Amino acid sequence: MTQTTQPPIMGHTLRRVVFFLLVLLTTLVAMGLMVSVFQTDGLSPMELILLLLYAILFSWICISFWTAFMGFFICLTGHDHWAISRHPGTPPDPAAPPPRTAILMPIYNEDSERVFAGLRAIHQSLADTGQLAGFDFFVLSDTRDPEVWVEEELRWQNMVRALDGKGRIFYRNRPENTSRKSGNLEDFCTRWGSQYRYMIVLDADSIMKGETLVEMVRIMERQPRVALLQTPPVPINRESLFARILQFAGSLYNRMFTAGLNYWQLGETNYWGHNAIIRIQPFLDHCGLPKLPGREPFGGDILSHDFVEAALLRRAGWEVWLAYDLEGSYEEIPPTLIDYAKRDRRWCQGNLQHLRLALSHGFNALSRLHFSMGVMSYLASPLWLLFLIATGVEAYFQTQHEPVYFFGENWAPVWPVSFAVEMTTVLLVTLTMLFLPKGLALLLLLKDSRLRRDYGGMLKATLSVVLETVFSVLTAPVLMLFQTKFVLAILMRRAVGWPPQQRGDHMTSFREAAQTHGVQTLIGVVAGVLSYQYVPAFFWWFIPVLLGLVLAIPVSMLSSSIALGRQSRELGLFLTPEETEQPVVLRYLEENLEEDEPVLPVLREKPASRFVQALTDPYVNALHLSLLPEREPPGKRRRHYLEGLVHQLEEEGPDSLSAAQKRDLIADPETLQRLHALFWSRPPVNAGMLP
Amino acid sequence: MEHYLPPLPPAPSSEFVLARLGGYWQALGVTDPAQVAALSEQALRRVAESPESPGLDAVARALVAAGELLDDWLARTLELPRPSRELAAARAALLSGAAPDWPAALFAPPGEADALLDALRAAIAEPTPPPSPGAMPAQRIDLFWLLGPLHRLWHPELRA
Repeated sequence: MTQTTQPPIMGHTLRRVVFFLLVLLTTLVAMGLMVSVFQTDGLSPMELILLLLYAILFSWICISFWTAFMGFFICLTGHDHWAISRHPGTPPDPAAPPPRTAILMPIYNEDSERVFAGLRAIHQSLADTGQLAGFDFFVLSDTRDPEVWVEEELRWQNMVRALDGKGRIFYRNRPENTSRKSGNLEDFCTRWGSQYRYMIVLDADSIMKGETLVEMVRIMERQPRVALLQTPPVPINRESLFARILQFAGSLYNRMFTAGLNYWQLGETNYWGHNAIIRIQPFLDHCGLPKLPGREPFGGDILSHDFVEAALLRRAGWEVWLAYDLEGSYEEIPPTLIDYAKRDRRWCQGNLQHLRLALSHGFNALSRLHFSMGVMSYLASPLWLLFLIATGVEAYFQTQHEPVYFFGENWAPVWPVSFAVEMTTVLLVTLTMLFLPKGLALLLLLKDSRLRRDYGGMLKATLSVVLETVFSVLTAPVLMLFQTKFVLAILMRRAVGWPPQQRGDHMTSFREAAQTHGVQTLIGVVAGVLSYQYVPAFFWWFIPVLLGLVLAIPVSMLSSSIALGRQSRELGLFLTPEETEQPVVLRYLEENLEEDEPVLPVLREKPASRFVQALTDPYVNALHLSLLPEREPPGKRRRHYLEGLVHQLEEEGPDSLSAAQKRDLIADPETLQRLHALFWSRPPVNAGMLP
Repeated sequence: MEHYLPPLPPAPSSEFVLARLGGYWQALGVTDPAQVAALSEQALRRVAESPESPGLDAVARALVAAGELLDDWLARTLELPRPSRELAAARAALLSGAAPDWPAALFAPPGEADALLDALRAAIAEPTPPPSPGAMPAQRIDLFWLLGPLHRLWHPELRA
């Protein structure tokens, strides 16, 4: 199902020409200023390195700046001829059967209570639209932890009962999580995909309004050339100061930034992996992912599959759009700086893999740019670090250079040429490009009184932007060092060794902060002392970076504070529209999380172990058994292995088994039934639930 | 060291077995002592008729037989194949509380428990829709490789 190639649309081409010309011209002007500073006495190798680094980093900033600027322009005028949601398209064939859409939630060892509370909220919101009949829900579990696995099954059954969702709300757990999330989705597509025209892919913490889901399907029906429609998820629901600052920034700036992305990306945008609708047939035809040759980190499974899937769809002639003006698409973000860095660690490897894909045969230019931008979002950090070090070293050599005022026969002194104006201009241009978008986003509030109120009013919104800017200046060097470490570790094929990500709000302890940021603080102190000692002039310029590093521990701890997050909310700081006026779907989520009378009695109590409950409780045991996939009976070696585990459990108890071993025991139907009988025939001591 | 699951006495008495079975029937939702006794007796009869199961002691075999009795009834009344996932799902539905009076229906004459069976059918979980397999072929991605041009020179067939 390949699409015929359409001739380029003049309006699209014009937008891209304007955008890239602006990026190119701005970069050239800034480079010109830099060259004029360096070239007086010829370019030294160090200056050449500095120029090269500056060119890469500045063009990266330029893309971001002009994207924001175009977004500002579109939001200000309110006109966007090419917004996919406003394009009339072709009316769907009335004779065609109504579309069926599968809402997919791939999960992996997540907090089941939150997952199902969220999915229920989406279901409730969709029911409010009266369009529920066109949608089915799939919880696609790749969970390996047996405790979470059993909990998920009970929560699923509870949701089915509570919402009368039999035959509409489905659950399955994959026996093997081959190829991780992309394999999980592929498994859905190859088993049940052909029963649906569309799938809406969510993340474990995604929330979407029912109206938004219905609108996404409506757009896809009108635009038969579109294979994928991405909505911009707005960060919500966190209470820590760190997360509230990020939520505010994400909400205020992304409104403008996504409009800017659509300005130049149009039907060749990217896929962000969730909160998107996908036409299933082209996905089946073109998005089967190969394993990349070679070893990790660059070989093996494709980790950031979303970029590649979007590129494959575009390669086959399909359009991929960002519906930036569709509201009601939400996600949750990491609650602390350390959790944020952990998430970066996971994403970093996948994005670096794109180094090879960017130059692969067959992808179009914009796909290559997306791959390169993915790489740059992590590679920019080591490049900035290198740039800072090179600047410091160059500044040091400059201080060692004695100025000569009299040359040869000249009686008059030759004063050294000052480039302070040029250097200040370069610096000011760079800072403007970094910070002006924040001001532009703020300006947009002047246009819309309702939005202004939702962000707490102009004064508080301005104060929030100022404080957010200070916070981002303080955390930027910390993230720079984190990302540099991740990139280097991945390039050297070393595991960085992060514990699993915690999604819920929680405070960072001094111990955790000191362990994580100790080295960063030390680097800040050493760099400060060295620069003050040897290049005092550079030291003062360097202070924002040094301050961020030296204060990393207190900033990380304080920003994780939920109390400070709540106080800032009471003061009207960092407010987002979702906090000011809670959307109904988020209220449903809150109510579902507070529910203390689940339909299933077994969920009303929290036992010490759901794994043990699956062996002892007749209902939990029967439900788990009924959800196991049909497969061949185990071979002789496998039987011996399971037999050994059964004996270990009988003698030493469940604590002696690893999570993987427990999973093996309850994944085999025969062993599960046998253990159920054994537990009832010889109940363990202190087993409260057994007679 | 004390075992997590304490070993059974070498030859458990019939009272011991009946007590375990009784406890199990109660956990399944059968509270009437007469019904518990009748069902336990049937389970023990079934054990006597069935061959030895390796790895299971006498009590465990009786408990397995109790479960099989339940499955027999479910398979017969709901016309389900056995063994099957549907049957396991029916057992789960029965034990979930969807049909609280099921022990009475177990002893009722055929046809008198239709309402209960309807409730049970409605409560049987459908974890996934029927499969409709489709293919998702792995796409070819020709990766960039520094020595790629040389490689293609060496293997002219790749140039096509």
